[in-house]
Amino acid sequence: MNGSSKDGSSNRLRVVVACVLAWLIPGAGHFYLGKRSKGLVFLAIVAVTFLTGLALQGRVYLATPEQPLSYLATFANLALGPMDLIGREATYERIIYVFPRESDRANYQDILDRTRARILAVTHEYGTTFILTAGLMNLLLILDAFDFGIGRKI
Amino acid sequence: MASHFLIMCLFSILVGAFFATLTRDTMREAIKAAALLALTMVGISLIIAYIMYFLPLGG
Repeated sequence: MNGSSKDGSSNRLRVVVACVLAWLIPGAGHFYLGKRSKGLVFLAIVAVTFLTGLALQGRVYLATPEQPLSYLATFANLALGPMDLIGREATYERIIYVFPRESDRANYQDILDRTRARILAVTHEYGTTFILTAGLMNLLLILDAFDFGIGRKI
Repeated sequence: MASHFLIMCLFSILVGAFFATLTRDTMREAIKAAALLALTMVGISLIIAYIMYFLPLGG
């Protein structure tokens, strides 16, 4: 009885570690659970998708109260873990998650100018789609690592 | 790179490779599934683009 509860808690810990690793580094959850080649392929695919998005002048989203869908897009970006920080630094040259209020004049204008500079690029929409897709891919990888961890998937 | 078609092909290849790796266990099966998914996405996009060609631009 004692042994099985110990096994259960160690398996729960394994699942949590796999999911956290999967969020921090795409594919790391699979790698940790022994699916090493899959983990490396996932890392390559998500990284290439994200970097292509940045190269195509895509941007990460900022939560904007007037645009409720921007919260979902920001959440999809956040699923990339630390890669999202790189995206925010590349887009806005700072780590920011919420669009500044108009009353914060200097910040508001600066973020607006940086956003406009990206939007003017011909490939902006494609780039943003690539970045969002990379985030959604990683979200699926976290769920997949969870399924492997609890034994729902072999 | 500003070719819309090439960007679409690259997107299809990446998404196809991702879902193939996610759902298939062997490398051989994954490569086949990735190719099928990517080609299907590009093919359907071209068909939709062809249909849209006949729609008025508006304005």
